Amino acid sequence: MRTVVSRRDALKLSAAGLTSGWLPALAARAANDPARKRACVVLWMAGGPSQTDTFDPKPDHANGGPFKAVGTAADGVRIGEYLPRVAAQMKHLAVVRSMATKEGDHGRATLHLRTGNLPQGGIDFPVFGSLVSNERARPDDDLPGYVSVSPRGFGTAALSAGFLGSRHSPLVVGGTGGDVFTAETGGELRVEYLGLPPGVGESRADARRALLAEAEADFLASRPGAATDSHKSACRRAGRLMKESAARAFDLSEEKGALRDTYGRNRFGQGCLLARRLVERGVPFVEVTLGGWDTHDNNFAQVKNLCGTLDPAWSALMSDLKDRGLLETTVVVWMGEFGRTPGINPRNGRDHYPSAWSVVLGGGGIAGGRAVGRTSRDGMKVEERPVGVPDLLATVCRAIGIDPTKQNMSNVNRPIRVVDPAGEPVTEVLA
Amino acid sequence: MRALVVVGCALLVAGPVGAAPPNLVALAERIDAHLDARQRAEQVVPAPPADDAEFLRRAYLDLTGRIPSPHDVHEFLADKDPDRRAKLIDELLDAPRYATHLAAVWRAALLPEAASDAQARVFQPGFEAWLRLKFRANTPHDELVRELLAAPISADPKAPEAVLRDPARPNALAFFAVKEAKPENLAAATARVFLGVQIECAQCHDHPFGRWERDQFWQTAAFFAGIGRQGDDLFAPVSDARRRAITIPNTKRSQPATFLDGTEPKWADGANPRAVLAEWVASKSNPFFARATANRVWGLMFGRGIVDPVDDFSEANKPSHPELLDDLANALAEADFDLKFLVRAIARTKAYQRTSAKTHPSQAKPELFARMAVKGMTGEQLFDSLALATGYREPGGRATQRDRFLAQFALRGPATEPETSITQALALMNGQFLNTVTSAEGSPTLLAACETPGMTTADRVEALYVAALSRRPTTKERDRMAKFVADGGTGKEAERLADVFWVLLNGAEFRLNH
Repeated sequence: MRTVVSRRDALKLSAAGLTSGWLPALAARAANDPARKRACVVLWMAGGPSQTDTFDPKPDHANGGPFKAVGTAADGVRIGEYLPRVAAQMKHLAVVRSMATKEGDHGRATLHLRTGNLPQGGIDFPVFGSLVSNERARPDDDLPGYVSVSPRGFGTAALSAGFLGSRHSPLVVGGTGGDVFTAETGGELRVEYLGLPPGVGESRADARRALLAEAEADFLASRPGAATDSHKSACRRAGRLMKESAARAFDLSEEKGALRDTYGRNRFGQGCLLARRLVERGVPFVEVTLGGWDTHDNNFAQVKNLCGTLDPAWSALMSDLKDRGLLETTVVVWMGEFGRTPGINPRNGRDHYPSAWSVVLGGGGIAGGRAVGRTSRDGMKVEERPVGVPDLLATVCRAIGIDPTKQNMSNVNRPIRVVDPAGEPVTEVLA
Repeated sequence: MRALVVVGCALLVAGPVGAAPPNLVALAERIDAHLDARQRAEQVVPAPPADDAEFLRRAYLDLTGRIPSPHDVHEFLADKDPDRRAKLIDELLDAPRYATHLAAVWRAALLPEAASDAQARVFQPGFEAWLRLKFRANTPHDELVRELLAAPISADPKAPEAVLRDPARPNALAFFAVKEAKPENLAAATARVFLGVQIECAQCHDHPFGRWERDQFWQTAAFFAGIGRQGDDLFAPVSDARRRAITIPNTKRSQPATFLDGTEPKWADGANPRAVLAEWVASKSNPFFARATANRVWGLMFGRGIVDPVDDFSEANKPSHPELLDDLANALAEADFDLKFLVRAIARTKAYQRTSAKTHPSQAKPELFARMAVKGMTGEQLFDSLALATGYREPGGRATQRDRFLAQFALRGPATEPETSITQALALMNGQFLNTVTSAEGSPTLLAACETPGMTTADRVEALYVAALSRRPTTKERDRMAKFVADGGTGKEAERLADVFWVLLNGAEFRLNH
């Protein structure tokens, strides 16, 4: 990203001796802040990851496919062989193997998992990140309450703050472009246009922004409402984000090269590193998307490849958070919009399967080292402890310390709870 | 001033304006009567009429998809004809940009996938080109719907129909390709856009709040049951085996093609099921079609439908003005689904011509239409307006500025609640595009405003206001901006004028349709 540290500020910083040793100091401050509440990092597996080849292996059944199941750091929990480093973190992770949902269409299932609701009756449901932002973001924060890193495969509604309004819509890092369900490597993760354009110095930029505020004041005052509010809010927040201290949160070049290598030098790996930088600075909700899980064809080669990206990034995130004392105050969730058929199709692929699939929860507030729920021997049915979408979201709410029954007023003048009241937290995975 | 006048002067010379047909005037009056009665009942004091400049900008954005040029502004503000607004509406409806704008609007409704899916976006130019042809010819809307739904597709799976030959060529099959040639997707889009109902919620199970049942969804999908594609991506050729029944996935139950009102088609020999469905959808006796279409046109003009969202007619979501909606629907059907007729009538109403400024506390409820809504601009409206204001000319070729803009500024959510994202605000403030077109090198408009000899600073400021905001500055604004330019000192005049232009184009008054 373009550096936004002005020379003046850089001089000030180095004079104060702050350029070195700043990061550990920040982490220590973040970890020790008594008022610190839990943040949430969602690793979103766009396309629907195969549970059979990852967290619910079926080595004794034809549906299991060629992958082996291996032991983990947690007694009795076995997972797919291509996530060895995640296996080593298993004491901090809990697998829910009994997700049972109904939507088998990418778009609708994505909305269901991300908002907790199916589209209905003209209600603009906010996505979960916006709900968390609404609970946690403070008006004077320089950083937004919800950051989405390289979102892929989302329609507009799947990234919308809905009735909560644009203040809680995600700041998108790394763009929304690219193919919908293909994995991506490389590419820069940056907040576009954060730096001033060439040829415009800070004093000129300040003068322009001041004149803008003055020039549009009458118009804004004469036309109160959602459109002008959103404009005002976006401009104000953009201005704050341009502040040097806020902009630096996104500058991965401040991280040591070796650590960046550990996360993996790819979009998802670096996105996980960015997630850590952001939760360290108090951002309450960050999601990082890894696309490419829609493996209708050639499932096994694709899943092995995806695990090669996922395994180092996720495990590095866990240990990095732990090293900085932040794991206890960060909930990490691994999920997609549904699972995949236990049966293997003629193209050696697996198709959409919402009836029985897995998610993983970890970090603070989660009782790690266990697997909850059970599917049948062939993986086709949930045999124990079915978990629906509201149950899952209520669990995450409890882990991060948000009341899932709290009500927000919606756009249809009807109060809507953070999570549908049908949702019951999965207490077995809560610490 | 000549350079300013030349830039973007696109309006056609107006032909003689005949007297409006009596039913048009009558419909406009009835619309106002419906709204007025309700406002009186709720003790709402409606806002006064917009001034000419406010009306002009709004009419250009709503009917042609971009702001007026400075030439259009000066001409309209100088016009003393008491009928100048009606005359302007007629001119705009005859301009080629009307068809361009409506094609973009209907494309966004029919193929929303293009906003988020790179493959789908490849089909956008061809589909818009097809729609443009229809809107340019003012094809009656029922005919457009029939031509789209019953577009010829080979019945032979061994000789399937190509869905994309030349991306720019008019292409109705884009609709079928982007819906993945799936009966369920086609049924959902047909019902949503043309009938105003969201039956897809019933795809997997009976809808808890609506009145649609799962079987009804699949009975509509059954009209598309013969459609399939030979391949795995959107570019795969399609065929239509013309089946009349469909098996609900993961069940053994088959559903026959049945209309949404429960009636069964009378099948003639060799009938194309899609043509049979289209005939029913777009018929005057269909209880949904005229209402849904009239409501959509209303939503386009007012930012919200009489039923809002415009594609969600249901028991739980009733119209704000049921009699008005019936009236509009009947008028549209009587006018043989001539959309221009309806747009023309609505644009002539007092309601459409009110100011968007809030002038009384009673104007809080948007569904009473007591003041014009402040609407977000679509990506197309924003880019085309920016280009016109600055004099930017897009060089040909792929991955153009416009394409990037459309992806970034696609309107999300309801038109009256546009969400401006931080990224959008940053892109306008710091992005290279806006900073280039607000510099003398990148903007013919700015160059002319800076370099035309014999103008005072106040004149130059005024030229920028007219170009960006389609109005003259108030005295206070002109003095403030002239002072800002003067405060820059000698040799900085051009840079300061560039700053003024940047300020005007980044402000809410430019960014929004009001």
